[in-house]
Amino acid sequence: MPPAYLLIALLGLSTAAYYFGRRKAFALSGRAEGAAKLHSRPTYHGALTALWCGIPALLIFGFWLVFENQVITHLVVKELPEAIRSLAPDRMNLVINDIRNIESGSFASQAAEPAIQAAADHYHRLRSISNHALAAVSIALLTAIAVLVRGRITAGLRARNQVEAILTVLLVACSTIAIFTTIGIILSVLYEAIRFFKVIPITQFLFGLDWSPQMAIRADQVGSSGAFGAVPVFLGTILISAIAMVVAVPIGLMSAIYLSEYAGKRLRAVAKPLIEVLAGIPTVVYGFFAALTVAPVIRDWGSRLGLDVASESALAAGLVMGIMIIPFVSSLSDDFINAVPQSLRDGAYSLGATRSETIRQVIVPAAIPGIIGGVLLAVSRAIGETMIVVMAAGLSANLTVNPLKAVTTVTVQIVTLLVGDQEFDSPKTLAAFALGLILFIVTLCLNVIALYVVRKYREQYE
Amino acid sequence: MNSPIDTAAAPEPQRTIDIVNRSLKRRYRAERRFRFYGLAAIVLSLMFLALLFVSIVAKGYSAFWQTSIRLPIVFDPAVIQQDTLVNADYAALVREALFKKFPQVDGRQDKRQLTALMSSGSVYRLRDMVLKDPDLVGRGAEVWLLADDDVDMLIKGHFRRDLPEAERRVSDKQIAWIEQLESEGRLERRFNTTFLSAGDSREPELAGVWGAVSGSFFTLLITLSLSFPIGVAAAVYLEEFARKNRWTDLIEVNINNLAAVPSIVFGLLGLAVFLNFFGLPRSAPLVGGLVLTLMTLPTIIIASRSALKAVPPSIREAALGVGASKMQMVVHHVLPLALPGMLTGTIIGMARALGESAPLLMIGMVAFIVDIPKGFTDSATVLPVQIYLWSDSPERAFVERTSAAIMVLLAFLVVMNAGAIILRKKFERRW
Amino acid sequence: MKKAVVLSIVVALIAATAGMVQAQQRDSISIVGSSTVYPFATVVAEKFGKAGSFKSPKIESTGTGGGFKLFCGGVGVQHPDMSNASRAIKASEFETCQKNGVTDIVEVKIGYDGIVVANSQKAAGLKLTTKDIFLALAKDVPDPKGGEGLVANPYKTWKDVNPSLPDVKIEVLGPPPTSGTRDAFVELAMESGALKFEGLKKLSKEDGKKFQKVFSSIREDGAYVEAGENDNLIVQKLGANPNALGVFGFSFLDQNTDKIQGSFVDGNPPSFENIASGKYPLSRPLFFYVKKAHVGVIPGIKEYLAEFTSEKAWGKDGYLSEKGLIPLPEAERKQVGENVKALKTVTEVK
Repeated sequence: MPPAYLLIALLGLSTAAYYFGRRKAFALSGRAEGAAKLHSRPTYHGALTALWCGIPALLIFGFWLVFENQVITHLVVKELPEAIRSLAPDRMNLVINDIRNIESGSFASQAAEPAIQAAADHYHRLRSISNHALAAVSIALLTAIAVLVRGRITAGLRARNQVEAILTVLLVACSTIAIFTTIGIILSVLYEAIRFFKVIPITQFLFGLDWSPQMAIRADQVGSSGAFGAVPVFLGTILISAIAMVVAVPIGLMSAIYLSEYAGKRLRAVAKPLIEVLAGIPTVVYGFFAALTVAPVIRDWGSRLGLDVASESALAAGLVMGIMIIPFVSSLSDDFINAVPQSLRDGAYSLGATRSETIRQVIVPAAIPGIIGGVLLAVSRAIGETMIVVMAAGLSANLTVNPLKAVTTVTVQIVTLLVGDQEFDSPKTLAAFALGLILFIVTLCLNVIALYVVRKYREQYE
Repeated sequence: MNSPIDTAAAPEPQRTIDIVNRSLKRRYRAERRFRFYGLAAIVLSLMFLALLFVSIVAKGYSAFWQTSIRLPIVFDPAVIQQDTLVNADYAALVREALFKKFPQVDGRQDKRQLTALMSSGSVYRLRDMVLKDPDLVGRGAEVWLLADDDVDMLIKGHFRRDLPEAERRVSDKQIAWIEQLESEGRLERRFNTTFLSAGDSREPELAGVWGAVSGSFFTLLITLSLSFPIGVAAAVYLEEFARKNRWTDLIEVNINNLAAVPSIVFGLLGLAVFLNFFGLPRSAPLVGGLVLTLMTLPTIIIASRSALKAVPPSIREAALGVGASKMQMVVHHVLPLALPGMLTGTIIGMARALGESAPLLMIGMVAFIVDIPKGFTDSATVLPVQIYLWSDSPERAFVERTSAAIMVLLAFLVVMNAGAIILRKKFERRW
Repeated sequence: MKKAVVLSIVVALIAATAGMVQAQQRDSISIVGSSTVYPFATVVAEKFGKAGSFKSPKIESTGTGGGFKLFCGGVGVQHPDMSNASRAIKASEFETCQKNGVTDIVEVKIGYDGIVVANSQKAAGLKLTTKDIFLALAKDVPDPKGGEGLVANPYKTWKDVNPSLPDVKIEVLGPPPTSGTRDAFVELAMESGALKFEGLKKLSKEDGKKFQKVFSSIREDGAYVEAGENDNLIVQKLGANPNALGVFGFSFLDQNTDKIQGSFVDGNPPSFENIASGKYPLSRPLFFYVKKAHVGVIPGIKEYLAEFTSEKAWGKDGYLSEKGLIPLPEAERKQVGENVKALKTVTEVK
């Protein structure tokens, strides 16, 4: 049976084990006296049985699939003629690919040689044996455990505690994924970042005021050297994010307040998901909108006021980005404002406060941890955005806080450096990793600060 | 609160009610103003949405219709031999039909221009017809074939006919032929099934979004089925079970920080871990889904934690008070109350995952893939990548297709999030 | 105890899945590389796939450098078979390839890509020379007052650069320094423009490095706008801003002749014929590279090469020329075609 079906069968059998265990528990308790005699409720007995059956069976299944290919390949290779067997491992890999292609009936590179054809047949036989064996082993194991566990279900079995222990382990495992991700990210940028800092001194990178990676792409064009001072890039990031937040926070927060406190049920049910669509529109659309609609308008107004506006400006990118992240602020804040206990509102009203006074002085402070969470997410999204900035604010790194000038952001530089045409170990590409690392560290520091600030101002109600 | 009592430091004794009454007008004005700001904010957001939406639809709706030309095709047995049904020169059939239709056309240049009216995809259409029904050989039939994208653009009015010939992609002669076909009822705009059923193509008239839709489906299925449970579980552990100490602070800061990591860095991580270390196949929705899971997790965890924080402690105390275990308290009482906030996080996170293309670049999903993916390990691309690639294509006909693909993406978004939105509505309550 | 068990299971699982490297299978060609070659390679791949004997190749748009990084990763199913490039392979990349066992590489030059300088149809067409381009865009230019040294670029309008040009602000939207298009533009337009000055010509003979720096440094005061690699966006921005000029690939001009016009460079307009004959100076070759070890093992490589180098694809009237690729001269085409058929490998790289 193909592995996918087997997986479904195993899950089905585990479900069956649940009912099996539960029935036993019900039987133990005896209908007449109710479930009172049992330590745990019968569903926990069922769940325990299912977990005990399912987890080992799935583990076996996983291990089998992982090793199956290696074992079979090894066996097949052993049977191959000496001439093929003595190939270098990477060539061997191609031959095996050929064998697998023939075996699975897809396009083969050529009319198969007899030896390869024989190997493919061999492979096919082994695989079907393996599939059958896996099905037999895992189902047998599952059934055996089910019977075994059933025998051990007694009235005093602390089924609930055991199930909860297993669940807690799962919860802990899930929460550590974030740590592993962080380690992974650091490891995947650190090596290249260090190589970069060997070429460009770290102080020059951190404090240099000139970002202009105009290094030649080809080797025979030595001579022009780039400048890698990251300050303008970071300043640009801050500028654009700040503009975006100036748009998103007031609009988002006021929308949230109106939706949760003033709006009728129907408006709320319609408006909230609609605003969330803003977060789902692909950034290419915003990019075109910013570059072709907003930027010319800004330029026209600017020149009418006698200002010198670059055709690519931080303002256009920031404004449009602000629109994009409105839902991060509005939807999350709305949920938390909605979650503020009604008793707080009633208390404020009974003191004679108007609704807006209640909102400003009672509800928003009570919902502040959630709102800050939403704003933090919005800032994060603004820092990470690339397409809008590339299209509307350009790529030139100017050291300026004038929103009418072209600026660039860290993320944009990372992306353009990584997908460029220059060779991969040139300082240009490596600079992307360095930027990534520094950005990571900077946001880490900001987050530590944010954590303490939130702790300090958080008010626990009730 | 701007307590009215504060202002009561007036010289002569006053009744509180007078002070309140005096300030009422101002306070009501403030109230109305505040309410107006709220409404304005919503109207503003919705206006932006409408603006974007109108501009997308206005540009994209025409892509759902496609110009076709009806030609009398003769399945000439001299061209199609029974043993070479697949490789026969079907282009010759189209050429023959066109030359018969316009016998006056002469000269190599003109003949080239004439055949350029038809899409290069007509060849495959005829081939499929013959393969399906080999008896066609030797007979003739009227067949609707796709017109070239330039013809389509002309018919749809994206090319102006009044420009000088040198600035047009369609020559005067071609326009004359097209007008003749039109007057004979042989040229028609028909519903564009290709667009909804085909994979990518470099010929705009043959390009479709189905490959990208399938790719997005498989990718996001992985993302959703991993990131929601893991995100909620992590949030529950950190908020309800873990002791508050350095370690949990570290995890919290970490998660907040991951939310700010640029998405392409997650692509680098995926390249290093999933492709190079675990050896998973390149360009596969499986890997894309995993990378997007890592990217979405922080959003979901942060939203879920805030949602859990917002559940009043009294609910927990009450549950524990009647003898529930901690796990029972969380699962039966706290989770249902926190679910709306968690679902909001999921909705926003998934919306972002659906629209993200940068991290997929590193794991090989920014690619030209004609075949429609059938599973989690087939090479695939996703909708935002398709949109990006089309928006960067020189052919003009891709402009409307880009917008149409965005419409498909938004429809995908609505369908994907509808379940979560309904659930959220159901669990939402005030206490 | 329990924790130890869980931990060891997790570790074992991770270690086990790491062994899956061998378990990949591929029955179609995998191509990576330049986004400039992408629109041409994909046309061939699609025709090739639809012909029905093989699956359509998968073509990733990763940038030339990223493409070579993957291509030179090694021989085997998990590594791509070909890499598209908007420049020739570099010595350091070739070395990486050799080091990783990718010893035999076949180079295929597929044609030329024209680089155009264009503006909106709404504005007057420009007749530029490479000298004008250099003066308008270089960071430092020879002192216009006749001094010996270089001064920071003082020119604000095209009229300042050359009195025959219109009196509009210099504003050029072009590719960023990470792009191969920019590199080619610098080399073809800026360098030859710089050589028109006696002082710089002398410098180029005396101090090549310094000369290099002069012509390859593009001004950063806002006159040259680094606009990303989405050429369609540049085309549309030109439509919105008639005073601006854009630098991008010929195929985008070819498709948008009703909106934009190409500027003459050194007296020749950017037309298909002029680029093919070399009269129009701004064009650069495009390539792709093939791993010889994969030929015959990954299905379809030979046939794909045959399709790409067939006259109906890259020939003068082939379908690639319809997409804007400028074909190689006939003799060179024949030569490259033969090399490909014989799978002649690259032996050394400058």
